[in-house]
Amino acid sequence: MAGVRYLLTYLKPYIVITILAPLLMVVEVITDLLQPTIMQYIIDDGIANDDFNTVLNYTFLMLGVAVIGLIGGLGCIYLSSKVGLNLATDVRADLYEVSSYFSARRRNEVGTGKLVTILTSDIEMVQRALMMTLRIFVRGPLMFIGAIIIVWLTARELFPILLIIVPILIILIALFTMYSGKIFGKVQRALDAVNTKLSENLAGIQVIKAFHRLKEQIIQFTGLNATLTKHNQNANILIGFLGPLSMFIINMGIIAALWLGAIKIDTGTMQIGVILAFINYLNIIMGGLMMSMMVLMQIARALPSATRIKDVLLTEDDLKENGGLIKPIEGDIEFKNINFAYHDHGENVLENITLHIKKGQTIGFIGMTGSGKSTLLNLIPRLYDAQQGEILIDGEKIERYDVNYLRSQIAIAPQKATLFTGTIASNLKFGNEQAKEAQMVKALNQASAWNFVSQYDQQLQFKLTQNGGNLSGGQKQRIAMARAFIRNANILILDDTTSAVDTISEKIIQQQIAEDFIDKTVIIVSSKVSSIQNADQIAVFEDGKIIAIGTHEQLLLSSVAYRETFELQQQNGGLFT
Amino acid sequence: MTNAPRPMGGHPGGRGGISASQEKPKNKKATIKRIWHYISKYKLALWIVMFLVIASSALTVYAPYYLGQIVDNYIIPRDLDGTITQLLYLGAIFIAISIFTWLQILLMIRISMRTIQKVRQDLFEHFQVLPMSFYNRHSTGDLMSRVTNDVDNLNTALSQSIVQMISSLLTIIGTAAAMFYISWKLALVSFIIIPAMFYFSKAIIKRSGKNYAARQKDLGAMNGHIQENITGAEIVTLFGQEQNKVEAFNQLNKTYKQSALKAEITSGLLGPSNNFLNNIGLALVIGAGAILTLSGGATVGIIASFTTYTRQFFRPINQISNLLNTLQSAIAGAERVFEVLDEKSEFLDDQEKKPLEKIDGFIQFNDVSFSYDGQKQILNHISLQAKAGEMIAIVGTTGSGKTTIINILSRFYTSNSGEILINGQPITTFKIGDVRKRISVVLQDSYLFSGTVADNIRFGRPEATDEEVVAAAKLACAHKFITYLPQKYDTPIVSSGSNLSQGQRQLIAIARAVLEDADLLILDEATSSVDTRTEVYIQEGLKALMKGRTSFVIAHRLKTIEAADQILVLDAGQIIERGTHSELMMQNGFYAELQSQNNKH
Repeated sequence: MAGVRYLLTYLKPYIVITILAPLLMVVEVITDLLQPTIMQYIIDDGIANDDFNTVLNYTFLMLGVAVIGLIGGLGCIYLSSKVGLNLATDVRADLYEVSSYFSARRRNEVGTGKLVTILTSDIEMVQRALMMTLRIFVRGPLMFIGAIIIVWLTARELFPILLIIVPILIILIALFTMYSGKIFGKVQRALDAVNTKLSENLAGIQVIKAFHRLKEQIIQFTGLNATLTKHNQNANILIGFLGPLSMFIINMGIIAALWLGAIKIDTGTMQIGVILAFINYLNIIMGGLMMSMMVLMQIARALPSATRIKDVLLTEDDLKENGGLIKPIEGDIEFKNINFAYHDHGENVLENITLHIKKGQTIGFIGMTGSGKSTLLNLIPRLYDAQQGEILIDGEKIERYDVNYLRSQIAIAPQKATLFTGTIASNLKFGNEQAKEAQMVKALNQASAWNFVSQYDQQLQFKLTQNGGNLSGGQKQRIAMARAFIRNANILILDDTTSAVDTISEKIIQQQIAEDFIDKTVIIVSSKVSSIQNADQIAVFEDGKIIAIGTHEQLLLSSVAYRETFELQQQNGGLFT
Repeated sequence: MTNAPRPMGGHPGGRGGISASQEKPKNKKATIKRIWHYISKYKLALWIVMFLVIASSALTVYAPYYLGQIVDNYIIPRDLDGTITQLLYLGAIFIAISIFTWLQILLMIRISMRTIQKVRQDLFEHFQVLPMSFYNRHSTGDLMSRVTNDVDNLNTALSQSIVQMISSLLTIIGTAAAMFYISWKLALVSFIIIPAMFYFSKAIIKRSGKNYAARQKDLGAMNGHIQENITGAEIVTLFGQEQNKVEAFNQLNKTYKQSALKAEITSGLLGPSNNFLNNIGLALVIGAGAILTLSGGATVGIIASFTTYTRQFFRPINQISNLLNTLQSAIAGAERVFEVLDEKSEFLDDQEKKPLEKIDGFIQFNDVSFSYDGQKQILNHISLQAKAGEMIAIVGTTGSGKTTIINILSRFYTSNSGEILINGQPITTFKIGDVRKRISVVLQDSYLFSGTVADNIRFGRPEATDEEVVAAAKLACAHKFITYLPQKYDTPIVSSGSNLSQGQRQLIAIARAVLEDADLLILDEATSSVDTRTEVYIQEGLKALMKGRTSFVIAHRLKTIEAADQILVLDAGQIIERGTHSELMMQNGFYAELQSQNNKH
């Protein structure tokens, strides 16, 4: 509920139409409710008194009322759509902005998958629930209550029938809603099991074939399928029962009304039109109840969505300090006793890292996956802040810099080559918004990418599909490197960026870096000794620690792990990747 | 029937009533015939349903007429005893309507659930026997949606729409007939509204269909942006592009708002406009009825009947266009389901084939050629011989056809020409399942299933003891890391192994193949994601396993290959060099070049 309350504050700018929409619905409902009463007057005043004019007047009144109802209904649809979409659009914009500025730690905590779900389906759910509420939730209960009031006012003799029927219907519907929630939960679980089995079988079909285990799979699926069918059947039968049952109750109400009415007419205390109007109201009451139930279900489903949205919107940023210092960065980086864990009480991923990278040096990081190389790199642009220790850049504590400025002074090509929909040029502009065509070609050449980019008819304007889906892994990595090169920053970080690049291109890239970035501070992460052996120094990582540091030749003598890796790679190499 | 939510899960994009695009079935008749084939098993039940539908529709039409009769003949003349007797009859009719409706729903749900279960089962079983070539042509998402969405649509159609359709039609016809019978003048008055109703509904549905399509397109663009940029948020942060991205998003968000507003409003019009027409219809009938009554052409009872009749008459008319859409998409869905079921099984003539107890180890390829699509030749005239116990290594660049050779050998595909001999006979003469069981394959992509680590290792041999599982894991160098897992061998694998690293998954896949203990061992880049030092240990273990077993190995690390009895160098689907490591080095050809390049750095 707190989630809903928070989201309601977004309605403020639209408060007038938010109130107006249900009011217009009230107009429609009132006109609907008036129809049977007018009919009653036609019969009891017009026909009974043989008064042609009364009949005609009331008929025109009925038509006029219908037109007013139409105006109310249309107005409500228009306004409620506006409110729902305006709210959703505003919330979505805020959500997107908040999550864009999330720190990497926060983003991991929430999870990107969940964030996407919140931004897409959760908002959609809230939007729909809001529109439904403004339209039908007003309509359902209003019809229900209105009909009861009118019966009280115009057909009080028949009111006792409502006293019996309405509670029965309410209890019935409440029971159904409660029980169906339970039974649908079972259906959902059975359905999940079937779908999981299915998607697994489709994705792993080759393994199943290779081991020829189709019989086992079919037996398992048969069981899941039978369970699903059983629960589904129960649920459907339950729901299917509600219709005829409530219809039956309403019909019994009609019989009771006729019975009671016949007696009253016999004694002369009631007219026939009243009974006919009452029958109409019974149907309205039933419709109103059903409608209310449906909207309630929809709202119940939107509640968790609202809470999730609120949680994201209210997430506080956790970057500790933002000093605001703006001073060109030369590229001297010093780590002092760094300890780091991704979760506050989690295992340390980096332990006691001390390392000095001097301006203009090239350093190589080597070590097994999970040894902490990438994590250490993430601390430099402050994607994460270390729990202990400090990082100095050009002798200044990293927290003293303006964080956006700091990032603009670092060129980084991360392990995963993430590209965006757009052209190759627009992706390169990520690195340098003012980049000219010549600069782009130069950067692409440095990344050994121009040779394939120039093959495209549109060259730099070649369009990339979502996530760069129309490029191969190696091509994506090269574009991502070019994006970093074009930045021409004094710190260049390449995090295992050539794993999918062929050997010959890799050689070219290495040479380009050695020549063009000689005066920059360059950090290269690789699992291949060959990629880093010419670096000024090499740090060997193991289990979050730097276990050895030195030049290639020094390490061959001093580090067993380094020597072993080097020797194995000398023999094996990685040619066919 | 109520409009309560359907139990079979939902379609995320679907909105009650109007959908964005109407798909039309291609071959309606044939598809309906096949659906009938599925449900014809329940012929008796279907006849009963038919009878119940007709009976309840007839009673539903009769009840208001009867009610009018009671008003005119008993209540207004103040015949209290007669009224009560008549009311008891009316009560009986109402009870019968409810029971008939309930029975017909019950029966139809049973029929449709059984049918759907059968269709789902048939699909799943058919998936198991379809050849790999089928899976190359279809994405997993597409196949999933056939079992979920398409089967789901069929379910709705069977359990609700068909009966609703029939009863709607019967009610419309019956009500119209009854109205004409009671008072043709009033009936004509009620019908005035029908053309307007059809015209408005059609216009609104058409417009909103268009608007929904536009909305869907904008929503897709916006959600695509969200997906891409939230997943790639780290890059956005690193390059300080947050502001630009927010602006771009706001643009998309606004565009979506505009088109969604249009779509919501047009589709929302249907409710009030139908409500309006209903009210107009009611007013006209009552007004005209009253005037007729004054001139003696009708009675209050007739008006009473007509108020119910107009409601009964307009409701199904409003529903029918919706029902037609549901039925249409159900048939289109069924068509897609049958399309899968019509694909040929790879086990089609397996019955007549010979069983295979054991592969004696001698494998021969005679002039084998293969193409996946019939156009691009992947393998060209491959000939090779592997003697029992030999290790054959295949090297070559990406796309040279290494994996294809293995795919044909393990009977995932059948060669277009030439033949493969095992035990001296063409491989195609043996039962496919037998061949696969006698071959252990470690595939490039090591897929794991949900279940525990031990379950996965046991996959090829469920009856294996715990000791055997551990032994296999040890041989594959997986034992050590498994003992570090939270529940060791009982650790559950989540979503195809995302709680393990790629390297760990490969080790489990190797253990799985080791445990299968087949006659022929195939390793396709089985250690590509394993780090250099672990790989050496695995190599030791595998050496023991390969002893006395014929094996085919694809590897990109050349060291693995040096010990092979034969090395085949593949280029563009042809074997360009063959021999042992030293022979090939002597030849000083492609292989030697690869080796020297490899040692350069």
